[in-house]
Amino acid sequence: MYESPIREKLILGGKTYHDISSDICRPLENKASKGWWIGFTLSAIVLAVWIYATTYTMLVGIGAWGLNKTVGWAFDITNFVFWVGIGHAGTLISAVLLLFRQKWRMSINRSAEAMTIFAVICAASFIVSHMGRPWVAYWPIPLPNAFGSLWVNFNSPLVWDVFAISTYFSVSLVFWYVGLIPDIATIRDRATTKLRKFMYNYFSMGWNGSTRAWHRYEMISLILAGISTPLVLSVHSIVSMDFATSLVPGWHTTIFPPYFVAGAIFSGFGMVLTLLVVGRVVLKQEEYITLEHLDAMARIVMLTGTMVGLAYITEFFVAAYSGVEYEQYAFINRATGPYWWAYWTMMSCNLLAPQVFWIKWARSTPWFLFVMSIIVNIGMWFERFVIIVTSLHRDFLPSSWTMYAPTITEVSILIGSFGLFFTLYFLFVRYLPTINMTELKSILVLKDNKHSHDKSEKGEAHHG
Amino acid sequence: MDNKMLLGVYDNPDTVLEATENLIKSGYDIKDVYTPFAVHGLDRVMGIKRTRLSTAAFVFAMIGIASALTLMIYTSVVDWQMNIGGKPSFHIPTYIPITFELGILFTAFGMVSCFFIVNRMFWGRVTDVIDIRVTDDTFVIAVNVHEKTDVKALENSLISNGAIEVRERINEI
Repeated sequence: MYESPIREKLILGGKTYHDISSDICRPLENKASKGWWIGFTLSAIVLAVWIYATTYTMLVGIGAWGLNKTVGWAFDITNFVFWVGIGHAGTLISAVLLLFRQKWRMSINRSAEAMTIFAVICAASFIVSHMGRPWVAYWPIPLPNAFGSLWVNFNSPLVWDVFAISTYFSVSLVFWYVGLIPDIATIRDRATTKLRKFMYNYFSMGWNGSTRAWHRYEMISLILAGISTPLVLSVHSIVSMDFATSLVPGWHTTIFPPYFVAGAIFSGFGMVLTLLVVGRVVLKQEEYITLEHLDAMARIVMLTGTMVGLAYITEFFVAAYSGVEYEQYAFINRATGPYWWAYWTMMSCNLLAPQVFWIKWARSTPWFLFVMSIIVNIGMWFERFVIIVTSLHRDFLPSSWTMYAPTITEVSILIGSFGLFFTLYFLFVRYLPTINMTELKSILVLKDNKHSHDKSEKGEAHHG
Repeated sequence: MDNKMLLGVYDNPDTVLEATENLIKSGYDIKDVYTPFAVHGLDRVMGIKRTRLSTAAFVFAMIGIASALTLMIYTSVVDWQMNIGGKPSFHIPTYIPITFELGILFTAFGMVSCFFIVNRMFWGRVTDVIDIRVTDDTFVIAVNVHEKTDVKALENSLISNGAIEVRERINEI
């Protein structure tokens, strides 16, 4: 096990390799618990709301929403950026923390990557539904077409976004699947029923654990991590350019890419905390996702929360310093205009609230972390709402100033998207191991393992 | 022709690493070592050459970048120029994001496909697993037995290197 004088062990309870396999496979090998059925059913009901509201929007058109000629983007893009942001922690944990050799990632990367994929699915659904005519959603793809030889405009960040989000989704899926293969093989070899054996054998692709295979596997994992790291940063930078390349005061700022990336990591870790603080208790994984892990995540939440806070303040400074009246008004209007409550919700949830993580108690008390993670999620949703709606609702022409309020359809789509997310997540928990077993085994040092104990005394901790 | 192997079963990554090293020193022909996770150093001890997948990744990255640039330059410069806000059609800076994304996309898919090909992995493949426990907690050294191999001596050296179990296995080729 990872041993250093200042940190706790990463796996508690004196586990053996076999204990790891049994513990992590238990939720998917036993009958589904009552809790799982209740959670799954609730999510499915909320998913039904999403299906209803999205279908209604597609049948009726964007008129079902509260948009007007001044505010043309509101809930749809807010929700899109919110979900894409959440989708950033997974790849960050598995790729960036792999490159930095942060071993605590190993207990949380699998569920965070699953979260990434499901969150990007939710985000993509908003892109499609906000188009108004989703049956022509393939138009942003450069296809030879009969609409007058018209290709897409490659100078447009919206087209970049199509490429960025689809690349991000597919590369994350590949990364996740490659990581799953040895674990699927473990389940295959433990399977007791024919159907399980067949299904897990099918997806294990004949993995046999040979050293030659492992040698190549390590190489592609490293390269996938290496290319995913700039990918994560690029995706949210490109999302921010959807705004930053426009001329709208409040959007037209060069700080957007790093500011959005920090926000994405912040909200992503918020969601990981929401899921894992509950998941570790329900799935009985407290010995794998220890208080030490929660502590490390809380620190990242605090760091990134402070970074977005700094960005909020910098925006004000730059607006004041620029001397541009429109820019200055946009920010004064944000903080003191009719949407002041949204702005101050964002400020207090994202900048002020995470400061409690300076206190050790706050970082290591699960119920409190859960409350904080919800606050972070709310704060980050409001950040996008503030950026989008308050920048638009009072534009250059005071006669077209207006307010925006969502309709019941829009609220239903937002709430329903959580149903989509959690339905997928519940299915994941039921059918796939939520913790990367092979990686955990590689950092486990057996209790009676004299050999590696000798080695670590000489300062050569063998594997890990 | 049948391929006969002797399997040494171990329960500890350090023992297996040392055993492999000793067996190779004694001149045995090790087919492969099967482990539940990547035991670092084992590939080096076994003398496995560094995989060329990293080169493949680089080649795919270049293909991705070239395809992206070709697509954008062909469509927006050669085939049908569009005047949007008077902005230039041929403008390399705005091509960077898509070039980058496609570079990554091609690298990931190309490299992982190559990985599946060299490992002969495909969906639905039925493997003859060497020991059902190697995906759980067991480490297996498979040593090829040739006509000249002294089976008894091999068995002894597997055991003296810490094997908890030694078995014979015949693979039909």
